[in-house]
Amino acid sequence: MSELIKVENLTIAYPMADGEVFRAIDNFSMTVSRGQIVGVVGESGAGKSTIGKATLGLLDENAVIDTGGVHLDNIMVSHLEEHAQVEIRGNKVGYIYQNPMTALNPVLTIGEQIIEAIEANTNKRGAAARDYAIALLQQAEVPLPEERLEKYPHQMSGGLCQRIVFAIAICAKPDLIIADEPTTALDVTVQKAVLDTLVRLTRQENIAIILITHDMGVVSEMCDYVYVLRHGKLVESGPAEQVLQHPKQDYSRELMAAIPRIDHKVERFAVPGGLGQVADRERAIAYLMGRQTEAGEEGQPLLRVRNLSKTFETKVTALKAATSFKAVSDVSFDVFPSETMGIVGESGSGKSTVGRLILGLHTPDPGYEIVYRGREISELKTREEKLAHRKSFQCIFQDPYSSLNPRMSAGENITYPLKAHGMLGKEEARELAGDLMELVGLPRASARKMPHAFSGGERQRIGIARALSFRPDFIFCDEPTSALDVTVQAELLNLMKDLQDQLGLTLLFVSHDLAVVRQMCDRVMVMKSGEVVESGPCDKVLVDPHEAYTQGLLAAMPRFEFAPVA
Amino acid sequence: MSAETTPVDAGTLAQRKSKEPSFAEKFRKAFRGYPSAQIGLIGIIIFVLLAIFAPLIAPQDPYDQMRLDILDGLLPPGSKLGDGTVSLLGTDALGRDIFSAVLYGLRISLVVALVAVIVGSIIGVFMGLLAAMKAGWVETLIMRTVDLKMSFPGILLALMVLAIFGTGVDKVIFALIIGAWASETRLVRAVAMSELKKEYIDSAKLAGLSDMRIMWRYLFPNSISPVLVVLPMSISGAIGTEATLSFLGVGVPITEPSLGLLIANGNDYILSGKWWISIFPGLVLVGLVLCINVVADRLRDHANPYLRGKD
Repeated sequence: MSELIKVENLTIAYPMADGEVFRAIDNFSMTVSRGQIVGVVGESGAGKSTIGKATLGLLDENAVIDTGGVHLDNIMVSHLEEHAQVEIRGNKVGYIYQNPMTALNPVLTIGEQIIEAIEANTNKRGAAARDYAIALLQQAEVPLPEERLEKYPHQMSGGLCQRIVFAIAICAKPDLIIADEPTTALDVTVQKAVLDTLVRLTRQENIAIILITHDMGVVSEMCDYVYVLRHGKLVESGPAEQVLQHPKQDYSRELMAAIPRIDHKVERFAVPGGLGQVADRERAIAYLMGRQTEAGEEGQPLLRVRNLSKTFETKVTALKAATSFKAVSDVSFDVFPSETMGIVGESGSGKSTVGRLILGLHTPDPGYEIVYRGREISELKTREEKLAHRKSFQCIFQDPYSSLNPRMSAGENITYPLKAHGMLGKEEARELAGDLMELVGLPRASARKMPHAFSGGERQRIGIARALSFRPDFIFCDEPTSALDVTVQAELLNLMKDLQDQLGLTLLFVSHDLAVVRQMCDRVMVMKSGEVVESGPCDKVLVDPHEAYTQGLLAAMPRFEFAPVA
Repeated sequence: MSAETTPVDAGTLAQRKSKEPSFAEKFRKAFRGYPSAQIGLIGIIIFVLLAIFAPLIAPQDPYDQMRLDILDGLLPPGSKLGDGTVSLLGTDALGRDIFSAVLYGLRISLVVALVAVIVGSIIGVFMGLLAAMKAGWVETLIMRTVDLKMSFPGILLALMVLAIFGTGVDKVIFALIIGAWASETRLVRAVAMSELKKEYIDSAKLAGLSDMRIMWRYLFPNSISPVLVVLPMSISGAIGTEATLSFLGVGVPITEPSLGLLIANGNDYILSGKWWISIFPGLVLVGLVLCINVVADRLRDHANPYLRGKD
């Protein structure tokens, strides 16, 4: 096999305002042969996408290539003039973006976009271009290709859009496709089908792929060769199987250990996790254990939900009759004290809506029953009763970047509600904020910093501290780690397990990731289009599922061959 | 379990810049490389200083009728007055020194515009937050009132208010407030609506905080930036409207002449060669509004992330 892409000692630097230079890529080399599928993996900020962009000459204007360069077919492409690079883009190299919904132009039909790409990169025109477009869509396994040509991107699902992006990427029969997190925005069942198509397409045409991803499962299924990046530097490279199963470097080993596994429940992830000052932690735990409420009787559910439904209705307008959409229909479940109950499902399955309904952020359709600690929550009338319920029933949110008030310091975010309710004085609140920060593994002094000064994982820790500040018994966790890197996720899940053990918390844990649920939960409920498909102990439902839907979910998960359990 | 504090996410911690630039730094950055905006800013500072220190700078108190000498009337710039001083910019029909009158007029114009815009913005921001927060009839009432207000030309509305309430500095301020709040309400509501969808608002609701607290501590600080950006533009607009009203004779009273009224005073003489009475207050008015607009433009462009990349 001949070398198609050769990256030699590439260093890409961004000069920063304070005169320093930030090296996004630091002395990186790699080679890709024709027809090879090469994975570039790493956590966010590792510089994965920068490599892809450098190959296409799409670097930001202020980026400087310090040393080295990218050779494509022995031509140095990274230093070409703009017009020469346009030749290469599309013609020799195709690019697949992370979010198919934004990669397509929303005001042009699919047909216009594909034919435009065909006319720009091949010599087919008119009817010939149209026929070729249909052929491409057929190749990309888009059903009813002729009809789709007239459709707009918003009329199609994410998976279909991504297939159309594939069709555009291969229209000029390029030698190389760069796929930048092509399935991150998609559900796991869609992801599998889309990846299968991509692999088949490229094997047929002998196209090489550089697959940029953070998902080790995808790498394990697709790639021949892997490069592991961290902070722009190469950590380790080698054949996929070897790197994933027998990593040589500490960092890659940590990365592999952080991947939640579906086959076996581990006590804690083997990642280094920070814990705070002992004295402060103990103070915080003493405070949290001083909660007034009992966890409820043994054997009695802490939370009992019956016949929960929610129908969203659009208003009648001059042009449109009212439409209704049933997001949740007839969901019933119990959560027992000190257990972790999981809800899994793909996007649109109504799992988050269930959370919003029991939290009281939406009103359910009539006929429901939500009983918390033996009391029907719709019967809580007085301010005191409602507040007591609120305090005992808290939430950890999904998006760490929008769940903190950006105009309040971290400490203020944690304790402001308590101060507003007059439950704490200014001095006590500061003490408590510091103690809770230490409890979730952040330095006490950083309570004064504003949210933007923290990373996603750290923000999520602050979110946990905020939920804890009320001394709750029950916490609803709405995909708390879905926006985080895998090692950060592992640290955070460890922390949540620690806290649950120490405080006897009851958790309702929503996730789309079966493996995360397997690691966190005792029991699980599988949801599909607003309905419960199957529920039961994790050891059963996620190992030997009853229902075809759950079996399909499990089968669609990228198979990551784990090292045997030690 | 280890007892030490180990840094979390060491990698990201190392990369990220630890300090957010201070307000002064951000302000300086907004103007670096924009000479016209810098000149505008310096101009505003000079005008404001002149207005504040008018009693110290002005050679004559233009309100003190006893000090005016009718024999000094209508002298061109640079003439010697009866008491031996030189009138830099000439005098009007009453023998009032134009330079002194312009300084005091600048004061009135600035105070009227500032008070009106600040009070109008406070009302507008509050209404906008309220409309975003409370769906239903409160929102409908506020937003339809805004639509109603926006359907009148601003100057017509002000004239109507003054026709009903009479003239005077306080009435002019009132008329300008009526004209100022509505656009702020629209702006703030739009921003607040998108903030309301974010999870930190949900967290505040789950904490059992009252709507007023959520509005004040959560929604307000996160929705206010765009208003601060349009504030200078509103001020220059208010200065212009006030000058127009005073020029038409329905604005401030003759005893407290603003720039608009000074221009109106000289209007009768402009064809008889006594150009200085109108021209100097007019130049100051144009200069002030121009300076504010240049600065406002820069702030708006700087705040717009789409334009920032092309800076």
